[in-house]
This record gives sequence, C-alpha cells and structure tokens, in this order.
Amino acid sequence: MAVGAASKAAVQAGARTRAGSKVKRNQVPYAVAVIAVVAVIGIWLGGQKPVLGLTWIFGILFGFVLQRSRFCFTASLRDPVLTGSTSLTKGVIIAFAVATAGFAAIQYSAVLKGAEKIPGFISPVGIHIAIGATMFGIGMVIAGGCASGTLMRMGEGFAMQWIAIIGFMGGSLWGAHDFGWWSAHFFQNSPAIHLPSVLGWPVAVFGQLLLLGILYWLADRYEQKRTTFLS
Amino acid sequence: MAEHRLDCYGEACPIPLLKAEKKMKTLAVGDTLVVLTDHSCAMKNVPDWARKQGYDVDLEETGDGEWEIYIIKNH
Amino acid sequence: MSSETREATGINYRKLFKDPWPYWLGGLLLGFLNILMFTTTGSPWGVTTAFAHWAAWIYQAVGGSVSNWAFYQGANGKALAAGFWSNAQSIQNLGIILGALLATLLASQFKFKKIKHWRQVVAALVGGVLMGYGARIAFGCNIGAFFSGTASMSLHGWVYTLFIFLGAYLGSKLLVRYLL
Repeated sequence: MAVGAASKAAVQAGARTRAGSKVKRNQVPYAVAVIAVVAVIGIWLGGQKPVLGLTWIFGILFGFVLQRSRFCFTASLRDPVLTGSTSLTKGVIIAFAVATAGFAAIQYSAVLKGAEKIPGFISPVGIHIAIGATMFGIGMVIAGGCASGTLMRMGEGFAMQWIAIIGFMGGSLWGAHDFGWWSAHFFQNSPAIHLPSVLGWPVAVFGQLLLLGILYWLADRYEQKRTTFLS
Repeated sequence: MAEHRLDCYGEACPIPLLKAEKKMKTLAVGDTLVVLTDHSCAMKNVPDWARKQGYDVDLEETGDGEWEIYIIKNH
Repeated sequence: MSSETREATGINYRKLFKDPWPYWLGGLLLGFLNILMFTTTGSPWGVTTAFAHWAAWIYQAVGGSVSNWAFYQGANGKALAAGFWSNAQSIQNLGIILGALLATLLASQFKFKKIKHWRQVVAALVGGVLMGYGARIAFGCNIGAFFSGTASMSLHGWVYTLFIFLGAYLGSKLLVRYLL
C-alpha cells in the first residue's frame, strides 16, 4: 500500500521514480520569491516610465516562453544539417509567419495614416549582412546559444552562458567601435529595402507567407527523408 | 541486453545528442543506452531523435534539472 | 480535496509548468508576443544593442570614452547617457533572464551547471565575440535581424537568414571537430 501511495505521489510530482533516484526538492517557494521581486521591480519601473514596465513584462514573458518550449533558434538552423531534425525549424517558421502577418498589418496601417517612416526593423542590405550573419551563425553554434538563447540559459543556471555573455558584450563593443568604419565603407552605399514598398503589398505579404509555407513543407519532407535513410 | 550509461552532465547542446548518436551505433540489438543529462534542450531533443529512429524511449527526471533518457536499441 | 482532484490538478501543473511545451506552441506565442511588443512599444523585439551599452558602461567605468564613436551619436548616445534602468532593451533582457529562471524554478528543474572543460570557456568566449561583432555590422542578431527583420519584410532579414544558416553550418563543422 505504501508503495502504491508513493508512486501515485510521484506521478503527481511529475515523474516516475526508480529505486536509487535522488531526492528532488520543491523549488516553487524560490519561484514565488522571484515573482515577488519581478513584481516589485515591474511596479517601480512602470512608475518611472510606463514603457519600461511594459518591456519588463515582455522580457519576462519571452524568457518564460523560450524556456518552457525549449525554443532554440540556434538548433533550428543547426540541426537540419547536423542531426536531420527540423522540428525546431518548423517552429521558427511558424513564429515568422505569425509575426509577418501582424507586422504587415501594423506597417500597412501606419502607411495609411501617412507615416513618414515605415515602422519595424528595416536596415541597409549589403555584404556586411552576409559577413555579420555568418559570423553570428558560427558564434552561436560554438557558444551553445544565440542572443535569446544565451539570456535564457543564464537564467537556467548555465555557467557557460555567463561566460558567453562576456564575449558577447566585448564583441558588441568592438563592433560598436568599428561601426563608423563599416558605415562609411558599406552602410552608406547600401539601400534599405522594404519589400512591400518595392513589390507592392499583396505580392510582398502573400509572397512571404507563401515562401514560409513552402519552407515549412520542405523542412517536413527533408526530415522524413533524412530519418528513413538513417534507420 | 547490456545497459550502457553515457554521462553528459555539464555538456552543452548539441553534445548529448551527438554523443548518444555515436554511442548507439556501437550497441548490440537489445542493449539499452542511458543518457544522463542536465540540459533542458537535450531532455527533449534526444528522446525526439530516438523516437524518430524507431527506438523505445523512456524519460525520467532523476533530480533537480537532471534527467535519464533510456533508449532501447530494438532494431 | 479528493485524491482524483489532486491528481488532475497535478497533471495540469505538470503540463503547464513541468513538461516541455511543443515547439509549434513556442513559435506561435513568440510570434504573437513580438507583434504585441511592436504595437505597444513601437518597435519589434531586439536583444543585442543593449549588450553594446552594457559593455560601454563598463568601459566608461574603467576610464574609457565612446563619445566620439559614430555608433554612439544620436539615439544610442542618449540611451547610454540615460543609464541601465532607463534603457528599455536592457530592462527587457534582464526580464528574459528572470523569466527563464522563473520557468525553471516553477518546474523545480533549476540546477547550476558548472563548466566541464576549458574548451567550453574558449568556445563560449570566441562564440560570444563573433556573435557580438556580427550582430553590430549586420544590424541585429537572431532576434533583431533574423526574426524581426524578416517579419518586417526587409530584404536584409532574408539575406541574414541565408547567411546565419551558412554560419550555423560552418559552426557545426567546428563544433564536431573541436568540441565533441
């Protein structure tokens, strides 16, 4: 009877236990303490400036969702070649598609209201993107996490990411230092191209969503092929 | 029917998965690989990979932020 | 509370707070959160500009000066002068760390993971520097350029997508060769 009750309790605690498992601690009290700290800081920040309280909450939510879903942008780009898995790739495509739709609505309504500058992140495109993105891709794989991944893993207790952030900060400062040089030699001669402004809204928006859909389907087919070949 | 334990505590993603893949190749059919990991991504991507290969998989949380992944090489 | 209720609530707690959520759900939520952030704050999600500021503050604290750097003219200069607790992205990034910590604690899955070998330190530092520098010259990281740039339907986002994928491929080769 005692065994039955113990294993039922274990199911409630969320895990089966085999003989020899370590005693697990309940960390929820610590979570409550963190919630209290988060709330206090949030209220203080909101009092300083509402947008600060807002970005604080968004940060918490982003971190929470990233960790809960083990969402790793690094793996979405690395795994298709390294392990043949595209499940995260598909998750990223879903995120892109959802965001595209919402961003299109935000941008379009801004244009309708006569906005001078289209809202969003629209930056000069040129060889600097190729170089920088390649550097970033290499870096994120060997560091064990990208920008969001590094922050997430700092919160999860990975000492490695507490080291990575130091390199990240140093590289950022170095890049900020060289930014003027890159600007003079590359950015100034590179156009910022907003696809809907060039291709027209219907073509650009539906074209992008269609492309994402095709990439999703390709990712799915690719994983099936790679997996059947291996087994 | 041998059990092989693979200690991946402290390894960064994707090392646990890569080590598991490598080790599985050396196992005889019927053997079990037990991957020990404390990485939150690995406790998901290692079982996912193993299931896609058609192996029997069992995941157990054995400590705070520690998991054991049992992979039975059934073919 | 009956044992059935306790068991049912136990299973719900598990699904909400312990077992990993599916990737598609994470993607869906992140997409929505980015839209929400964009509408309410005027800017989409970005992460790495703040890292430059953090380093600049430290640099200034040890006697350095960035006041004549091109990067630190205009808005960036003002953000730097206003300090950490007035910088929205710095606040957000601290929030991401705490949000992840909170998620881990609610699942009782927090564990401090020490460095296992010195190779991890080198990889983390070199990788970090590459990411930091790359993000500055490519106008963003996996979030600001890859995610938000592409969602903004900017061509730079798609070019970034192509090359971050290439970079990940090259990084994987290095990883397998030196870190496996």
